[in-house]
Amino acid sequence: MDMIASWIGNIPDFAVPFALAALGLIVIERSGVLALGAEGLMLVGALAGIGASLMTGGATVWALILAMCAAGVVSLLFALMVLVMRINQVIAGLALVFFCQGLTGLLGTLLDWTNKPVAGLHAVSLWPFSELPVVGKLFVQNPLVFVTPLIFVVVVLVLNRSVLGLRLRAVGENPQAADAAGIPVLGYRCAAIVAGSMLIGLAGAYISVLSTKMWIADMVGGRGWITVALVIFARWSPWKALAGAVLFGCIEALIPQMAASGIRLPQYFVFMTPYAVTLGVMIWVALASRDSSSQPGALGEPFIREERR
Amino acid sequence: MKKLIAGAVCALAACGLPTLAAAEEGGFTLTGPAKIAMLYISPRNDGGWTQAFDEARQRLEGDIGQKIQYVESVPETASAIKPTVERLIQRGANIIIGTAFGYSDTFKELADKYPEVAFLNGSGTTNSHNLESFYGRTYESQYLCGMAAGAASETGKLGFVAANPFGQVNWTVNAFAMGAQQMNPDATVTVIYTGAWNDPVKERAAATALIDQGADVIGQHVDSPTPQIVAQERGVYGTGHHRDMSEFAPEATVCSSVWVWDRFLAPELKKIMAGNWVPAENGALLSMEQGGTDVSCCGKGIDEEEKAKIMAAREALLNGEKLIYAGPISDRDGNVKAAEGEALSDGELWSMDWFVKGVITQQ
Repeated sequence: MDMIASWIGNIPDFAVPFALAALGLIVIERSGVLALGAEGLMLVGALAGIGASLMTGGATVWALILAMCAAGVVSLLFALMVLVMRINQVIAGLALVFFCQGLTGLLGTLLDWTNKPVAGLHAVSLWPFSELPVVGKLFVQNPLVFVTPLIFVVVVLVLNRSVLGLRLRAVGENPQAADAAGIPVLGYRCAAIVAGSMLIGLAGAYISVLSTKMWIADMVGGRGWITVALVIFARWSPWKALAGAVLFGCIEALIPQMAASGIRLPQYFVFMTPYAVTLGVMIWVALASRDSSSQPGALGEPFIREERR
Repeated sequence: MKKLIAGAVCALAACGLPTLAAAEEGGFTLTGPAKIAMLYISPRNDGGWTQAFDEARQRLEGDIGQKIQYVESVPETASAIKPTVERLIQRGANIIIGTAFGYSDTFKELADKYPEVAFLNGSGTTNSHNLESFYGRTYESQYLCGMAAGAASETGKLGFVAANPFGQVNWTVNAFAMGAQQMNPDATVTVIYTGAWNDPVKERAAATALIDQGADVIGQHVDSPTPQIVAQERGVYGTGHHRDMSEFAPEATVCSSVWVWDRFLAPELKKIMAGNWVPAENGALLSMEQGGTDVSCCGKGIDEEEKAKIMAAREALLNGEKLIYAGPISDRDGNVKAAEGEALSDGELWSMDWFVKGVITQQ
């Protein structure tokens, strides 16, 4: 019972970064821009968050906001590459990751931000839920865990229920038609890139500032790539992405719990499970829903005004 | 991953051939005055492995009386290692010190190509006429950390966050447990392997799970100080690896296994400079007495009597009175691994895949 309670209490630390990064990716990709750079932007957010915490002496909320801004600023480079210069979006995304890995590693070393613990945010209890047996620990978390569902609600409402969201999706489905309707395609795409990247930066800052409470070079450790896959199997739907993030968080949080309880399983099989589950879910989704229309129609295609197609 | 996969390969080398003391004439001699350069696998202030090498470098400079150049963040790929080393050689370096498992093959190649240059490689696996790999018997220092952990624990339930389940990690786990049982015969050690050397997210989850399950001291054999930081947050004790972790968790860390490479490198470099240097055929696996590892002990939670006991054990290890892996020693299922009067060979150490009584693992 202890094990289950402890397991449930640890799920958010794994799930929230996946969820926020996936939401950011969805915002960008709904506008028709293929964003493979999540890993890099998470690193930028993670480093900026720690840097800001150290410089401000523990103003964690500001650190999170600054981390979002840092990722937003770096994403302008990506926007410049794919929107203005119309560089292949796959290559630009990969280049962004390598650039960010190098940049954050360098800055973390030069500024001496590596391995410096920060305070993070104190856990908050959601009374009376926190008194529940077994699941109680799920409601004793840092505040961002409770804010994450609210962020989802807001983003989903904007995407699906506002004129802004309608135009953004139109730009992603058929930029020529959107352009003909007078929607500034590149403006919307640029805004989507910056807004989505800020969410991805927040995901990175969650890992460094709120979860591990320090910076180590390359600490995101491939979680950005997992998020890219998560978005594909969620078919660009925020709620499915949230469910996927929670599923992934459950598995990742379960691994150390099983080991701590001395449950005997082959070690390398256990290391493999999150990825095996990812594969399994992807196959299941591919077989279950043939609804390819959920992929933004113009995903990965650069927009050139008045180009004959 | 980098440094420590050495196990399997080295084990083969060590099992296959009994070491012939190659003391014949015709060792390696430098052709000019010594000029030393080091290659680091990560930034010099990484807080662990590389920082320990950098601290050793600074002490070496005083000891040897010359500046030692270094290059940071050289990845474990031949295309990165070769140009770096060749440029250092062009600039006159004739003693090259590497710091990574992944440099092994490229260093072998370079050692053959530049027979007039001496190569040393920390945690490497390759050796030749002018190349020597070296690593520390970390189980000795981790045994002492285990003693400190056993002394600091009230429940006798210890946790251990480890990287990957193979020889060099397993030998520290077993030694940690045996050390703890010196202070508390009923002590158990629950081990979580994270599958990564430096993933603070997984390390935090592992340490948290162990503390949730009742562990009140957290040992570690991973690269980041995360387990110690978690221990401090949760108000329990811990023991560190690589460097003195009380820097990160002054309240929690009771003992740390630390690298003291200069104690090995200073005399070894002097041997190279003196001429007729003969590298150890299967690499140098350093006991505490030969340099390599030591402990930084003891923090809060250890009283004077316990500290005296730990320091007495350290003395016994240093002067060779005590061998950790000497018989009688059995695994947790009762199979005898070394009988009375025997000791495990280096080959058996490298391939250790069993655990002593009191160790709880997933396998």
